[in-house]
Amino acid sequence: MSTAVRSKPAAGSANSGGAPARRAVVRWAWRMFRREWRQQLTVLGLLTVAVAAAVAGMAFAADAPSSPDASFGTAGHMLVITGSKARLAEGISAASKAFGRIEVIYHAKAAIPGSVNSVDVRSERPGGEFSAPMLRLDVGHYPGPGQVAVTSGVAAIYQLRVGGVWRTGGGTLQVTGIVENPANLDDQFALIAPGQIRDVGQATVLFDATAQQLRGFRVSAGAQLTSRPQHDSGFPPAAVLVLDTIALSFVGLIAVATFTVLAQRRLRAFGMLAAVGATDRNIRLVLLANGAVVGCVAAVTGAAAGLAGWAALVPRLEALVAHRIDTFSLPWWEIGAAIALAVATAVGAAWWPAWAASRVPVVAALSGRPPSPKQGRAFAALGAVLLAVGLGAIAMAHQGRVPPLIIVGLVLTATGVLLVGPLAISGVAAQAGHAPVSIRLALRDLSRYRARSGAALAAISLVTGIVAAIAVSAAAAAQNEGSPGAVGWTNLPANQLMIYLSPDGPQGTPEVVPARTAEQLAQYQRDVTGLSAVLHGQAVLPLDAAIAAGMPVLQEGPVNGRPTTMLGKTQAGGGGGRQPVLAISQLYVATSAVLRFYHLDPAAISPATYILTARSGLTGAKILDFGAVVVGCKAAVSAQCGRPGVHPSRQAGGNGPDRRDLASPAIQVAGLPHYTSAPNTLLTSHAMAALNLRPLLAGWLIQTPAALTAAQVTRADHWAAANGLTVETTTGSPQASLASVSEKAIAVGVLAVLTVLAMTIGLIRSETANDVRVLSATGASGCTRRLLTGATAAALALLGGLLGIAAAYLGIIAWNRGVHSLASVPATKLAVLIVGIPLAALAAGWLLAGREPHGIDRHPLD
Amino acid sequence: MTALELRNVSKVYGDRAAEVHALREVSLTVEPGALVAVMGPSGSGKSTMLTIAGSLEEATGGEVFVAGRSLATLSRNERARLRRRSIGFVFQDFNLLAGLTAAENVALPLELDGLQARAARKAALRALDELGLGSRAARFPEELSGGERQRVAIARAVVGERRLLLADEPSGALDSVNAEAVMRLVRTACRGEVAGVVATHDAQLASWADRVVFLRDGRMVDQTSPLPGPESLLTPSDRK
Repeated sequence: MSTAVRSKPAAGSANSGGAPARRAVVRWAWRMFRREWRQQLTVLGLLTVAVAAAVAGMAFAADAPSSPDASFGTAGHMLVITGSKARLAEGISAASKAFGRIEVIYHAKAAIPGSVNSVDVRSERPGGEFSAPMLRLDVGHYPGPGQVAVTSGVAAIYQLRVGGVWRTGGGTLQVTGIVENPANLDDQFALIAPGQIRDVGQATVLFDATAQQLRGFRVSAGAQLTSRPQHDSGFPPAAVLVLDTIALSFVGLIAVATFTVLAQRRLRAFGMLAAVGATDRNIRLVLLANGAVVGCVAAVTGAAAGLAGWAALVPRLEALVAHRIDTFSLPWWEIGAAIALAVATAVGAAWWPAWAASRVPVVAALSGRPPSPKQGRAFAALGAVLLAVGLGAIAMAHQGRVPPLIIVGLVLTATGVLLVGPLAISGVAAQAGHAPVSIRLALRDLSRYRARSGAALAAISLVTGIVAAIAVSAAAAAQNEGSPGAVGWTNLPANQLMIYLSPDGPQGTPEVVPARTAEQLAQYQRDVTGLSAVLHGQAVLPLDAAIAAGMPVLQEGPVNGRPTTMLGKTQAGGGGGRQPVLAISQLYVATSAVLRFYHLDPAAISPATYILTARSGLTGAKILDFGAVVVGCKAAVSAQCGRPGVHPSRQAGGNGPDRRDLASPAIQVAGLPHYTSAPNTLLTSHAMAALNLRPLLAGWLIQTPAALTAAQVTRADHWAAANGLTVETTTGSPQASLASVSEKAIAVGVLAVLTVLAMTIGLIRSETANDVRVLSATGASGCTRRLLTGATAAALALLGGLLGIAAAYLGIIAWNRGVHSLASVPATKLAVLIVGIPLAALAAGWLLAGREPHGIDRHPLD
Repeated sequence: MTALELRNVSKVYGDRAAEVHALREVSLTVEPGALVAVMGPSGSGKSTMLTIAGSLEEATGGEVFVAGRSLATLSRNERARLRRRSIGFVFQDFNLLAGLTAAENVALPLELDGLQARAARKAALRALDELGLGSRAARFPEELSGGERQRVAIARAVVGERRLLLADEPSGALDSVNAEAVMRLVRTACRGEVAGVVATHDAQLASWADRVVFLRDGRMVDQTSPLPGPESLLTPSDRK
């Protein structure tokens, strides 16, 4: 009996069977996935969560940051002109002549009854050439002559409704709709039809222009020219993709362990496949197809979950970030990359088990015997090479400026650790000869089943490596934070508080100090002293800014005051007084009180020094008196060039402000604070005299013995609001944040490692259930069996911790291209990783294992 | 051309002190249409001889020819192709793939050989029909009885244009009635160009063979034609 087949096999299928063979194998893989998907639930779940988090995270990263559209619309530049109608007309005419196509939005103010504030009344054409993204109609219709549309905030202030009437400025307007600035929901205004505005006080001119046009444009008095920011702030989707890669590397290593177990369970089936003529490639395809199915299912499910979650989050997020979000305006390329990465992770994770399964001799496979472990030195060597290449890629990523290299580096590093792991396991097992029987067996079993224990080890190493990297980086950052002259990450220390006379506070550079009488200033001084007492302050330090002698009181918006000197850089473009200026730092006067506060010896200050500073990189900085700029846009009434980094003793200079001194004022680095808002740049008395400047009280610094509490900050805020002053406190300590992140990372890492151990130790021990039965039969107690499991878990955790920490240090060295960040060792946190976790694993293994096995698991084919 | 020829085949497992001689210079020739039974106690080398004959593992010494081709000259892929096209295996524990129906299991070697799924399925259904399993073609292995599973395994081993049927204790997991039925099918399959080798330790089942060879400690100690016993009354007419 033999059934002859008349059809010929497909062409080109001489050895491999071609497409029909692949179809048959993939069909079987799909059927097996449908039957055994529960066994792969961990990998499915982890991949799904990773994809969902990546999709939602990328959407958030792309859409949450505010957009320059809020002010610029689609325009590249904005000219704000303030003043009389004639001045507005002159400025608009000049802009039109210089730039061609422009769009003008006129502004007037409407008083709010009982309040000093006002509402912006805006004459803007709906669907304007540049302003279209800045205006949206929510309800009703856009206003015509005698009509107005208002934002919901304005409607609430004046208790208006669509169809109602708004009486303002002696006139009456019918409310026709509710509008908003979709790019800035905090922008509250009333919209009237173009040409209908009265009492115009300001005009916004939007336009596009070339650099040459800008250079040739003369900004008129009372106007301010601003260019659209070139770089959006925030966390870019590419960075989310990098984080996703790290997460997927971890999931991939767990998937390797899972697929290895799956391959072992299907070993007899693979043997049968080979017996009926399947090639090695066919056998590999079974597991690769399984991996692809797992990846696709997880990717689709995760993407759907992520998008659904994002869509559900958008309404709440809009209120939070104060701008409208187009739900499906997403970084689709990055999302596609995340999905592809998930599929690639699953397929990649299946590759090694697939390759190993295809190399098992047919007879051994048919009997279900796993291949005997080999030393695997070649793999370890390959792992070392991959590790080196991965670290090299991280080093070449220039601290995150080349995201693809980070991804490549992370993947190669994780793969390298995966390949090096088994050799480390066998090395430890080789030293187990004199250990108690449970520990000896545990270590040798890890070595015997190193395919899956190696994957688990790599996953643990990856987690501990990431946690160790965070801990070491946090320690280095903390040390850097405390070092003199380091660039500050934050505005103020947590125990200091700044009080500004200027209503703009730290936002105004230069500060415009309001004109106050001597009596008012004396009263302020008393109030500040009182506040300091309430806050248990240690010191109250008055801070003087410097103004040019004879600087008149000027009107700048709501402030009636004097602009102070600052340190800045004039940028290329324009000429003479029209150069745009980049603010560097507010300048304060180095009074004797300030010098005493910072323990600076006046005798140590070079007589020729103009500026004392804690800052570096001040090449090209100038002392700028911006009074005219602030008021009339005439830049640099007086400007002197600085030459930082040169010791005062090498500066040529005499006693008087001769031309040479004016061109090269000496800058002396001093032990001043490095916080951005603290008085970190001071004008010496020599500079004050030489530049004919005079001091002007600008504010106070209060120092408390401990970090200010939220209640104290709130109290200070209320006090300042009541007194017409501005208070600034720390916006957050990066040191504290890093310490917090580091501690949270440790907690998450411990949980992740214990989870990996829980998932893999059971698998490893289940393969040796027969050994445990033999142990029991020969009289081993429950204690021995418990120790066997506990020691297996503890050994993996210890090895993973050591490998992970080593990889973390190598990664940090590669990232920083040096060892300078390793000076501070977070000993306690590292001890948690290499001692705490193994002990926890030992305890968990001891408590949760030890039952006598009932029999040997066997999975017959049918 | 002989269907199978073993020339002084030896097989050694392990190294040095742990060496185990599974086969020692065994020679055997099986002509087309013949059925040879291999008998011997456990560990005598019956299964090893079959796996070497079926190219599932390599001999340590000697030569193996299947349908005139030396296995030593074939690559891994060529041996796989040989198994797909010329050699059919029947195992004691059936070895059907869970997840594939009876028809798909039978069609598997053909599909792996590159035959389109539709044509492979037709051939598989034909083979199942010949074994009386046409109605069970869509069932999965776990839905079949032990006897039915082994018949499906036989169908898979003979489907296509096989030249050599190798059965390792094909009735070992079956009751006596099913065991007889399976041997009858194996006997029926070995006709024309198809030869068969069956490893068994059951003399009654071995009596279905044209020739019986005896192995002990890896050596072929004897070979003979089975004595006609009472079971010869059950001998199918086409044997005569």
